[in-house]
Amino acid sequence: MYDRVVSNWTIFRIALEERLVYRADFAMGTLMRFLPIITQIFLWQAIFLSQARDQLAGYRYKDFVAYYLLTMIARAFSSMPGLASGIVEQVRNGEIKKFLIQPIDLLSFLLLGRIAHKCTYYAIAILPFGLVFFLCRDYFMDGFPDGLTFCAFLCSLIMGFMIGFFLEAAIGMIGFWLLEVSSLLFIYMLFNFFLSGHMFPLDMLKDVQLWGDWSCFDLVKLLPLQYLAYFPAAVFLKKVEGLELITGLCIEAGWLVFFIIFARCTFRMGVRRYSGFGG
Amino acid sequence: MSIIEIENLTKAYRVYRKKEGLAASVRGLFRRNYHDVMAVQGIDLNVEQGEFVAFLGPNGAGKTTTLKLLSGVINPTAGTARVMGHVPWKRENAYRRRFALVMGQKNQLWWDLPALESFRLHEQIYRIPPDQFRKGLDELVDLLELDGLLEQPVRELSLGERMKMELTAALLHSPEVLFLDEPTIGLDVIAQHNIQQFLKFYQEQRKITILLTSHYMKDVAALCRRLVIIAHGKIMYDGSLAGIIDRFSGHKVVTLQFAEDRMPDNLDTYGTVLETVAPKAQLRIPRNVVAQQLATMLAKYPVEDVSVEDPPLEEVIAEVFSQANRAAGAEMAEGPSCTTAS
Amino acid sequence: MQHPSYWNVLLTFMRNSLIRDMTFRSNFLILCVSSMSWTVMNFGFYLLIFQFTAKIAPNPAWGSWGKYEFFVFLSTTWFINSLVQAFFMPNCQEFSELIRTGNLDFALLKPIDTQFLISLQKVEWSALTNFFLGFGLLAFSLWKMTYRVENPLQWQPIAVVLYPLFVVCGVGILYSLMISLAATSIWFGRNQSLYNFWFYITNFSRYPMEIYDVGWGIALRKLFTFIIPVLVVVNVPARLLAAPLQPRANWEWAYIGFTLLATIACLWVSRWIFTHSLLRYRSASS
Repeated sequence: MYDRVVSNWTIFRIALEERLVYRADFAMGTLMRFLPIITQIFLWQAIFLSQARDQLAGYRYKDFVAYYLLTMIARAFSSMPGLASGIVEQVRNGEIKKFLIQPIDLLSFLLLGRIAHKCTYYAIAILPFGLVFFLCRDYFMDGFPDGLTFCAFLCSLIMGFMIGFFLEAAIGMIGFWLLEVSSLLFIYMLFNFFLSGHMFPLDMLKDVQLWGDWSCFDLVKLLPLQYLAYFPAAVFLKKVEGLELITGLCIEAGWLVFFIIFARCTFRMGVRRYSGFGG
Repeated sequence: MSIIEIENLTKAYRVYRKKEGLAASVRGLFRRNYHDVMAVQGIDLNVEQGEFVAFLGPNGAGKTTTLKLLSGVINPTAGTARVMGHVPWKRENAYRRRFALVMGQKNQLWWDLPALESFRLHEQIYRIPPDQFRKGLDELVDLLELDGLLEQPVRELSLGERMKMELTAALLHSPEVLFLDEPTIGLDVIAQHNIQQFLKFYQEQRKITILLTSHYMKDVAALCRRLVIIAHGKIMYDGSLAGIIDRFSGHKVVTLQFAEDRMPDNLDTYGTVLETVAPKAQLRIPRNVVAQQLATMLAKYPVEDVSVEDPPLEEVIAEVFSQANRAAGAEMAEGPSCTTAS
Repeated sequence: MQHPSYWNVLLTFMRNSLIRDMTFRSNFLILCVSSMSWTVMNFGFYLLIFQFTAKIAPNPAWGSWGKYEFFVFLSTTWFINSLVQAFFMPNCQEFSELIRTGNLDFALLKPIDTQFLISLQKVEWSALTNFFLGFGLLAFSLWKMTYRVENPLQWQPIAVVLYPLFVVCGVGILYSLMISLAATSIWFGRNQSLYNFWFYITNFSRYPMEIYDVGWGIALRKLFTFIIPVLVVVNVPARLLAAPLQPRANWEWAYIGFTLLATIACLWVSRWIFTHSLLRYRSASS
């Protein structure tokens, strides 16, 4: 037990050190992430200035900005850069054998690594994030939400992190079956970007008819991708309240359990297939 | 005027020192420790046209750095050099057309394409007239036995074949000076031999000037008459192969075969005993007393056979390297040039 | 002194890249599909926006970007970006790798201008898919604009002639920015975030510049027009063709003239940065 704790701490520590090595890289990267929001702010402002209404799909102009800022936080939790491709790479060059021989579990190892990565990121990013949110506090027209909503928000963020991790890890498991997955990953990234609400609030799809009584929004709500960006932002902005909120959180938890099981199963199947090749 | 003139050439590198541990990594965000590594320290060298010179030295001696300086790939910290009248690091096109550099284990040909396509690119870049290109290529393919391999993607070739392709690419534009950086490293014995034979033939035929760096004595012994030993960025020796032994080896190896089983016990009074397998004994005796000791031994003991040899070349050179290491170690102890910068 | 025929060398680069792309045919097709998917999804986003608004016109003095005007803008973005991604992006990324591994040595040995060699040696043919998509969208939008009932497009021959020129200028400006960033990896070592930097900065170029003309955005607009001129890259050719302001104002022509100067200045500055970074090149140990 003690050994597990020590080894986990070592893994965590080494991951932290690795991040700090490329210092110029690191500092720049954190600042850069805010740039795309600026263009979106201007775009939406221009759109609102071009027409008479002051509400679009239930969002006022300032709500749009608040929404984008909140999706930044959600993405800070749920994005897993290099996770899937890392797994594929490890399978391809045989590094994965280390996990089959040594008493380390691949998924736990990766999860700890990600937590370390996120912790460093938050520790350093808290300053720029804090600054930006302070400067932009006027965009949050309804102010800070009440305690319960805020708790729900935090809940959805943490679950978003876990879903993001296990979803991408599961995708990475494709590396056991296919050699060249970069294009598949790219297409996943694309869908992720659009359907998670990162690019625009998914509520906008309510007005787009799909078929019959169904709008595109109803379809997208069925997907787990919304939890990676849209859902936490919607919770904070009180777009999802009361019973809807509780059901939303439960479904999110359901998806989380599903992906944990899915990732583990595909890992086990992949390992069996891999070992089947011998050598 | 020599074709290559080097005077006081120096190259220093700044290296960032990283300490282990988490606290040091965090500190590394704000402050960094640098120190300067002298890759090449004041080299003086003159090479005449048509010479085949070998650079020998341990890893990190500065051989590759010297070649890179002469190719114009990097700039020196101090000193001058002229190759065929040009200053290499000015990277004039006129200079670059006249020499070639080949680096062992480093590939410049397009990996996924047949070598022929890369050669065609060379033809365009060096502006080689088509018939000269064709003739030159055929000749090289013939000499290096590359028939049928030109159409294969480079990634499918063996290491030896790839090296030959690299050589072909380098020689297509008929350079007057050729720099070879460990061309036979990692190759099997046959491939090494082939390349050595080729280089020997090519150099004799065309009288080009070649600078070769290597670890392997076989390369050096087979091809070069002039040997330059570099260690820790300084030239330790510049002269012929035979001269090295005279200069650096203070010993000779004497092998005695004694009659019957009468090997004496006190052989160590004559010199260092290297090996005793009855009835033979091998001794290392300082040069200046060889004749004297031998005379004494021959008078005292029944010796059936004697041989007096120079120690193996590798040993002599290894001794030169360790001498250089000791000298460098002493220099380091006096105080490295270490600076702290943020 | 005999210099290589740069045109022939370029043709050989293009040919070799095509041969290599065709060797991995399925990979090539997948890459084409990936680039297209991104473009199509982006297009979908704007279709969605125009469901909610008829135009983007925050400042009437600058003109109005209706749906089809905006599509002309969008297709111009696709033209310029696909050209940059096909001819220059793989090379600039490779440049950082060459610096890191020390394989830049080989480029420095060749009797040809190093910047030319580095910038053009590989061509990513699959990136040109978006170029063709741009063509389709442009043709469709222009047709719609010419034949609509209210406010049909007034064609000016000079606009049609200048459009390709300014697309090339846009490519030139983006290339200068890209190669300058890549060259700095000689100083900074690994620079993954520099490429993210590239995407974030060029992100500004994808929208009509009048959207920035509010509040503190004015400073931003001036920064990205006069200091790092990414805003003129797409805006100038798109405005030329889509003519959101009819008839044209004089200041529009001034902008056009400025763009030519900016292109030359950017190319010159990037050349200076490139040659100076080579002086600091350290190679890599073997």
